[in-house]
Amino acid sequence: MKTDIRKRDGLARSGTFTIGDNMIPFPAAIDTDRVFPALAIQKYMNVPLAAPPDFVSRYLEQPKSPVIIHPALGNSAKSGDCVMAANWHTVMENPRQYVEYLVGLKEKTPPDTLWYAPASALPGNVHILCYSGFDLFDYTWIDLKTAQRKFCTTEGEFPTTAIDEMACGCEGCRTGDLKLHNRLALDRELATIRTFIAKGQLRELVESRCRLSAPHVAILRDLDSRYAFAERTAPVVRGGILRANSAESMTRPEIRRFMERVAVRYIPPKADVAVLLPCSARKPYSLSQSHRRFRQAIGGRAHELIVTSPLGLVPRELETVYPAMHYDVPVTGYWDAEECSVISSVIATYLRKHHYRHVIAHLEGGALEVAEAAADIAGTTLEYSCRENPTGSDALNKLDNALAGERKVRDDRLHGILSFQFGVDIDTRGLSVRGTFPELFWSRDRVPYFSLDTTGGIIRPTFDGWSLIPDGYRVEIDDFVPEGDILVPGIVRTDPAIREGDEVLVTGPRAVATGRAAMSGDEMERSNRGVAVRVRKVKKV
Amino acid sequence: MISEMTERPLASWLGHDRLEGEVLSCLTIIFRTSGCSWNSCLMCSYRHERYPVDKPHGSYSDHILSQLRWVQETYNPDLYRMVKIFTSGSFFDPTEVPLPVLQQIAKAFRGKVVIAETRPEYVQVDPLQSFIHDIDTGTEKIPLYCAIGLETTNDLIREKCIRKGFTLNDFIAACSRAKAGGAGVKAYLLHKPLFLTEREALEDMKSSIRTAAMHADVISMNPCTVQGRTELERYWKHRAYRPPYLWSVLSVLSDSPVHVTCDPVGGGRIRGPHNCGNCDKDIVAGIRDYSLNGDRDLIAALLETECGCKEEWHHVLDHEMPHCMPLTR
Repeated sequence: MKTDIRKRDGLARSGTFTIGDNMIPFPAAIDTDRVFPALAIQKYMNVPLAAPPDFVSRYLEQPKSPVIIHPALGNSAKSGDCVMAANWHTVMENPRQYVEYLVGLKEKTPPDTLWYAPASALPGNVHILCYSGFDLFDYTWIDLKTAQRKFCTTEGEFPTTAIDEMACGCEGCRTGDLKLHNRLALDRELATIRTFIAKGQLRELVESRCRLSAPHVAILRDLDSRYAFAERTAPVVRGGILRANSAESMTRPEIRRFMERVAVRYIPPKADVAVLLPCSARKPYSLSQSHRRFRQAIGGRAHELIVTSPLGLVPRELETVYPAMHYDVPVTGYWDAEECSVISSVIATYLRKHHYRHVIAHLEGGALEVAEAAADIAGTTLEYSCRENPTGSDALNKLDNALAGERKVRDDRLHGILSFQFGVDIDTRGLSVRGTFPELFWSRDRVPYFSLDTTGGIIRPTFDGWSLIPDGYRVEIDDFVPEGDILVPGIVRTDPAIREGDEVLVTGPRAVATGRAAMSGDEMERSNRGVAVRVRKVKKV
Repeated sequence: MISEMTERPLASWLGHDRLEGEVLSCLTIIFRTSGCSWNSCLMCSYRHERYPVDKPHGSYSDHILSQLRWVQETYNPDLYRMVKIFTSGSFFDPTEVPLPVLQQIAKAFRGKVVIAETRPEYVQVDPLQSFIHDIDTGTEKIPLYCAIGLETTNDLIREKCIRKGFTLNDFIAACSRAKAGGAGVKAYLLHKPLFLTEREALEDMKSSIRTAAMHADVISMNPCTVQGRTELERYWKHRAYRPPYLWSVLSVLSDSPVHVTCDPVGGGRIRGPHNCGNCDKDIVAGIRDYSLNGDRDLIAALLETECGCKEEWHHVLDHEMPHCMPLTR
């Protein structure tokens, strides 16, 4: 069996695997008897997930394929294997156990393996299985539902009396074949999931699908709560929209990472005055009508900080950085208690770390309340240029007046993003910016150093740009000159801080290259195959 | 005074039992003893029913004898022809039931057929002979049966799934010793211990009955139940175990070449052998009837009845595999 992981979305992956002449896209439900004939001849081989180590080492016998992984076993797989979490269906109703086993198994098993969950998939639960990093399923459980006369959809299972109302027009429903309908419903949901993985929006699908099952919501939340684990596979940039439409959006690893990097890595420009501004529907904010007005009134005399849910606080320089330019959130003007508490603490942390002579709140409604709560926690005194209608001329005049006599703040988008992206404090003097926002380029003496990637909103360094970044985000390769992308086997050492989508510098004895990480540093370290870095430019040394 | 106290056994009741084609009135007694010497079986909770180990040994025999006295005072010997004795361990283990006590018990049930449960290692010719000497009045063809929990004739299953600690050969040797001592053997089989698929368990019972019938005089099959404070219960709570379907029990009984007694304890309940909840009651009653009257047509007819859960059972038989089980609750 040949496996090709093409796309990652958190723990989920999609791609193709080949058996004989058949190329099958995954995640997929497969005919186990055909793909894993060795399983059919296993007898008296049951080893439950809850079995203790001595029992497992005594009685677990590996079939020819797939390789069985078990919570009480050390790593049993190697790169390229298809692995099976036997009896995984027994933890579907036990979220705590599910997540504990999952994290343990994922951490010890090489990432470039195909994951099979036997007898576990239904149209109503396969989203959370894929989200957890399972790739292969079978029809055992869905066929059991047929035997139990249950009509299955993504919403769950129903008695066959519901078919009159719920028949879906599939071939099974048209011909009165329940088994066919149920199988097609699973196949269709898997196709939907593949589509969402391709778009990088599986999280959105899962946040929506999980609502009808308490265990699914619990699995989602519990995985989020294991931030160090979940964050490792969360990409640094995505192309599409991040839909922050549920309470769990607040705990999504990408969101929490943004908050943490603003608190820990980000270095603001020197400024006496900060203005807290509301967000805008249009992203990046600068291109919206309201922000054009704010910026005109401020005239560069203050550091601009945007108060927003679910990201908390977006300094002006970071407005393009994923997901600041990419999120969409339902706006009602009402901020719930959880939002208020998380975001006010984000702002308070910022205000405690960075001191301003004046902090002007140019806000209204929920954002204003959050800012006030944050100022209380941080011991900061807020000044107000308005309490309602911040885009009105009254408010804008007040803001202008409040800033009378203040000095200009250096507009250094490059410095801000680099600090956030690489955790560095770089002297950007002498670099001049050109282009039309957000298509910006930085150069020195006509030599290009950096550009802003308008998709992910992060900085792309050239070789000269990299020369200013002292360390980190390096991928060391062996003694060769890359032709095309860097594959995992060519890698000698990586930086564990690297995430999928990060800009990296490839260094080797014979060449250097710029490019973008296609997987996390952890995955590069623990895998033996796959594209690690998509290369932009190569230079022999 | 300890010698004068009366102590009740763990349980005792009067009933009827089928033995060698005949229905006998029967007294069942479960004595409390120092407990099972093996004490390791995965499904067994009887091992918790024991005197604390620090009980002074001098009075230990008196404890058992006072239970015997209570039985003698409570049950009129004319009301039963057969006595089934359990100890939550081994009746013929001399540590559990000291020889003088054994002798007293034998004398108490003189003239009765006695079936006493024991592990095979405690089936020894001499004690059996003297026990039989004390009970035998010449009225019964075989006055004593050693009941041995063989559970299955498959050594791998007995070791992995039950942790029973003896082999089929140990059992066969015990049968020879029993025969030499003049006793019969009753074999207990366990339908669906841990770690077996529905089909593996079903086929194991079918073949175990055939093999056991070659060595034992009487066979009894227990569909597995989930008892408290056992390894089995721990796995069951992790959804790693399901007791057998009653359909499977019927299938085994219907296939059996010999009569097999079967009391589906906990039948129809979530911790016992069960189907869907709709058809369980009739099947459990039918199995109990068959166990007593040996009416094979009844089993065949029950197996032919229809219920919505039968298709589920067929699916489970065909698709439950060691790597994905149990498929149902």
